[in-house]
Amino acid sequence: MTEGGDFSGASRREPVSLKASSEVGVSGELSANAATGRAPSAVLACPTLMAREVSVGFGSKTVVSNVNLEFHPGTITALIGPTGCGKTTLLRSINRMNDKVRGYWRKGSIELEGTEVSEAHMDPLVLRRRVGMVFQRPNPFPMSIRDNVVVGVKVHRMAPRHELPAVAERVLKHVGLWAAVADRMSDSPFRLSGGQQQLLCLARALAVEPDVLLLDEPTSSLDPQTTEIVEDLLRELAPRLTMIIVTHNLAQARRVSHNTAFLYNGLLVEAGDTKQIFEAPNEPETVSYVSGRIG
Amino acid sequence: MAATTGAAPLPTEATTFTERSRSAGLGRRKMKNALLWGSCTIALALVVSPLLWIVIGVIAKGVSHWQWSALTHDHASASSPGLLNAVIGTFTLMAGIVVIGGVIGIAGGIYLAEYCPEGKGKLLRGASEVLSGVPSIVLGYVGFIALVVGFKGTGIHWSFGLLPAWIVVAVLVVPYITKSTEVAIRNVPTAYREGAESLGLSSGFTLRKLILRPALPGIVTGLIFAAAISVGETAPLIYTAHWSDHTNFSLIHSAFGGVGYLTYGVFEFLNEPSAHDHVLANDAAMMLVVIVLLLIVVSRVLVSLTQRYSPDRPQRLGRSGK
Repeated sequence: MTEGGDFSGASRREPVSLKASSEVGVSGELSANAATGRAPSAVLACPTLMAREVSVGFGSKTVVSNVNLEFHPGTITALIGPTGCGKTTLLRSINRMNDKVRGYWRKGSIELEGTEVSEAHMDPLVLRRRVGMVFQRPNPFPMSIRDNVVVGVKVHRMAPRHELPAVAERVLKHVGLWAAVADRMSDSPFRLSGGQQQLLCLARALAVEPDVLLLDEPTSSLDPQTTEIVEDLLRELAPRLTMIIVTHNLAQARRVSHNTAFLYNGLLVEAGDTKQIFEAPNEPETVSYVSGRIG
Repeated sequence: MAATTGAAPLPTEATTFTERSRSAGLGRRKMKNALLWGSCTIALALVVSPLLWIVIGVIAKGVSHWQWSALTHDHASASSPGLLNAVIGTFTLMAGIVVIGGVIGIAGGIYLAEYCPEGKGKLLRGASEVLSGVPSIVLGYVGFIALVVGFKGTGIHWSFGLLPAWIVVAVLVVPYITKSTEVAIRNVPTAYREGAESLGLSSGFTLRKLILRPALPGIVTGLIFAAAISVGETAPLIYTAHWSDHTNFSLIHSAFGGVGYLTYGVFEFLNEPSAHDHVLANDAAMMLVVIVLLLIVVSRVLVSLTQRYSPDRPQRLGRSGK
């Protein structure tokens, strides 16, 4: 196992621009998505999210060093790398979910549409409404299925009370869960299957209409069939959202993402077009990881 | 392994030995299992037996001489002295103690679980544990000196009444409520907090809807304990509420010399020469037991109504049958 400092030369000094391209993808899947509404390249000049010289750690331990990345509208970016390489830490730094963790620190800047996410006037509650998150394990709230979906809409006062049932129906239809829950919207969400619960959490995150969606291994606890449903949904959402997905499933990264960033021992080794990363990686560590020799 | 490697089967003697030792191991495990189950059953019986003995004994003694006048007349009644003043006094004391102790204790528990820095938390928890270890009679005496007769120059000289009793017994129950609230909140899954944070929900909303609601059974357990202590305490009440034969709601400077409560009846009436007072003492004991049992049952029912969406609630088929 190589130590952290070995790849320091590979860490990018300039932001790696992860733009969507019509040529991105595997077996034409993502090319088809690009044709159905991905933002044109002129818009892509302005990234939704930009990480510059980002280092993150806890106390004396540095988890992520000097990461530069850009995430453009309408793209799905996969963060891949072995366990403990800092993918989730980096992801949770974007919506400031680590802020309350003891000893947490961050250097460098993470900008959401040009505004530093930690700036004084950036309210973390507003930031998190704009940057949604779905977790590894489904985490519905102990309230009815309907309330689970609209809780964010209600708290952020995004719709009048009488419109909330319609909002819930629209979002649940969007994620493909409406047929299963239409006649039991007042039931406990814990009576749903694990896959349905995860779709409910996705619906809850989408209901507040975020600009960016962070997905932390969203299908790792799901069966293959539900995984496919979630992946289809992500592809469908891609034109309207900027998505960043942390995954250990390399096949999934190839299937769903336009771009891929490979982290190893807290360093960004390589980032770029998913097809290029998997089929013609530039760095020897990336070659080893995608071919299964490390990790 | 033998089949895959092509090795010869084990000799018969060895096989027999293996089977024998496996069988002996299984027997030992079964014996250990039975021993453990037996010990647990005995321990359970040791805990439950005295409880049943007390509950059945107290209720049997109370029921055998029960007269409804015990609930309709004050002890001051010349024709038929009863316990009405003590029953009303017990409920009034309990309500005040649960409200004062509950507000302070629940707020303290929320603070310790959610907002308190670690170092400060250790100090506060330590102080709370020390407070819970102080004998109730000591607290009662402190309350008597500080509130009832008053320190020189403090201006507080409340005499006997509800207020000094509420304050002193509330101090007694606060550590229990704080502890149970803190533990209940800490047991709420972190996933709720993370989910709420990731949606940008405010900490106030998260606390009210996603933390306190699932923590309610634990918090209510603390409140029941507080209520049970408040109806069961005698020593601090003698120093602060003293006693009255009349129904009395005086907060301070009680006109009848104090406030009546059931434990005083149990404690005092058995020493009286009158046979009627002995009957009232048994009635008071029975009422105390019944009040505590009712408290537990009613609070459990109320809590279960708030836990409709709990993941721990037994799964039932939905209307769709899924």
